[in-house]
Amino acid sequence: MTIRELSRIALLLAALLPGPARAAVKVVTTTEGLASIAREVGGADAEVQHLSRGVQDPHFVDANPTLALKLRAADLLVDVGLELEVGWLPPLVNQSRNPDIQPGGRRRLTAASAVAVLDVPTGPVDRSMGDLHPGGNPHFLTDPRRAALVAKAIGARLGELDPAHAAGYAERAAAFGKRLEAALARWQAELAPYKGKRLFSQHKTLSYLHEWTGLVDGGELEPRPGTPPPPAHLARLVEVAKRDGVKVIVVESYYDTRSGEQVARLTGARLVSIPGDVGGDPAAKSYESYVDLVVRRILDALRASP
Amino acid sequence: MKGIWLAAALAAGVGSVAQAQQAGTGPGATPRLLPDISAIGSGVLVWNRDDVEALSPRSGPSGPAGKVTPVFQELEVALQAVVDPFARADVYLTFGPEGAGVEEAYVTTLALPGGLQIKAGTLHSPWGRLNQQHPHAWDFVDAPLAASRLVAAEALGGPGLDVAWLAPLPWFAELHLAYQETTPLEGEPGRRTLVGRLAQFTDLAEGATLGVGLSAARLDEPGAGAWRDLYGADLYLKLRPATSRSYLALQAELYARRLSGTGDPAVDGTRLGGYAQAVYRIGRDWAVGGRWETAPSLADGRPGPEQRFTALASWYTSEFMRLRLQGSYDRLPGGKAGLEALLALEFSIGVHGAHPF
Repeated sequence: MTIRELSRIALLLAALLPGPARAAVKVVTTTEGLASIAREVGGADAEVQHLSRGVQDPHFVDANPTLALKLRAADLLVDVGLELEVGWLPPLVNQSRNPDIQPGGRRRLTAASAVAVLDVPTGPVDRSMGDLHPGGNPHFLTDPRRAALVAKAIGARLGELDPAHAAGYAERAAAFGKRLEAALARWQAELAPYKGKRLFSQHKTLSYLHEWTGLVDGGELEPRPGTPPPPAHLARLVEVAKRDGVKVIVVESYYDTRSGEQVARLTGARLVSIPGDVGGDPAAKSYESYVDLVVRRILDALRASP
Repeated sequence: MKGIWLAAALAAGVGSVAQAQQAGTGPGATPRLLPDISAIGSGVLVWNRDDVEALSPRSGPSGPAGKVTPVFQELEVALQAVVDPFARADVYLTFGPEGAGVEEAYVTTLALPGGLQIKAGTLHSPWGRLNQQHPHAWDFVDAPLAASRLVAAEALGGPGLDVAWLAPLPWFAELHLAYQETTPLEGEPGRRTLVGRLAQFTDLAEGATLGVGLSAARLDEPGAGAWRDLYGADLYLKLRPATSRSYLALQAELYARRLSGTGDPAVDGTRLGGYAQAVYRIGRDWAVGGRWETAPSLADGRPGPEQRFTALASWYTSEFMRLRLQGSYDRLPGGKAGLEALLALEFSIGVHGAHPF
């Protein structure tokens, strides 16, 4: 074996060994929405990746082992929680060989623990009620106030993991919160004339949006979470729409729109497609632009309704 | 209770950031000390035109020729939890027509350095693709004939240790080395078994994942100086657009079994078998599939490869129940052909851990 061959082998082995200390903290989030918030907080001190995309239904992501590779090197894993990712995240975490990102680990932050959760079942729960989340509604990032709290929690955790940049994380989280507060006032002012208006949605994804907008849940196209709407249920919704004056049906872009279209046709209501998360629409590149787009689409439909 | 009041206050239209918070008391922080408990039951209505027992013996469901027979397949009870910060445990008990048993019961380490992970207990061998899955994770109702004829009647597995190393490569490459006592044929004494496997996964493009696996095993064979080698290659390709619940999954496995030193020239030698299947999941509710397989025939006086063609239609009432209709055309060496049909019901209750890809 020549020196040249030996040096090639040494180079190859060196490529397989861990590299020098990284400048940026590696943050992996389960969803694109959480990633956009982590980017706001992490700035140049964090390198953020996400496991699922905004165009995907976050309940049904494949537990593709190549995603476990992202988790292997993660300094922090941020998940939504409330069993949103229960169908795919646990096997990835187990495959990752990263002990600190196990639930409760110091490099695991479950965003749900930072916010007040809605739709927590108060009575006994079983699956005759559909595939519901027994811990409460996990779709809390439709609320900018809760997004600000998640940002704060991410900032605090990043500060613990990377104390040298703790002040920067806290400052950026606070600045993001301030920006959202200003945007919230603007969005609320625009939506104010429509307070009390009822909306249909596909799945119970809008509880948090209703809370800060004053819009009201008129019903869901799914009779129970995760179950397809039978014609009788849609017929009931048509009656409800006529009785309660429901003029807008909101469906995330990853859902089939046929049921929504049917109800829209029979009631004259407008079907609105919204991104399910940041990245769910080409125009929803950041958290603010995502909420802005959701507000804009709903506003357009409400304004166009007599 | 506090949560309800707070939610009520928020619903009243309070808009400040601070009031949306209830840090640390949300369900995300609820401690859970009970293991996840689940039960998965499966039963089949089976019809085969010919005498499967004599012509094509197998571990999958079959009944007397020409009669529609209800068959209880299996009830699996799973208990799964983290043991401590260093390991988790998975226990699978199985109840079938032959009685109760422990399908698997093992701990998995969570905190070993160097990309290592060890499973210890009684476990399925890290061999091939289907062998590591429980029947309720299969797309088809039964296993390919070659799996039971060349690898193990049920699943290759038993008490022992599986050491897996995740290589520091840009794609997923996991190397397994296992030492176990396995019983490829039910009721026989266990055999010392050494298993090696390299499993690799890579994303070819967005929504296109390729998995390639190579497996090998050496087992003791009764008789001095005799042994059994198993070789396997498996391929898995899943195509799923990010925005869709629908997908196409192509899967194939090739099995080879070599017996050496038995002193019987009719037994010594290599036998081949395998299968290739395609499954198309149509949205949330439906899936259809096709499978071709080949395995050494076990019918008296009909040596050679037996080939079977299977069509499958699955209906999912929800994520927790499915009804499958499966029809097969079985072609034995020498031209004899058999027809079979299965109607299988499977349900799952409780919290069952998500399956690996």
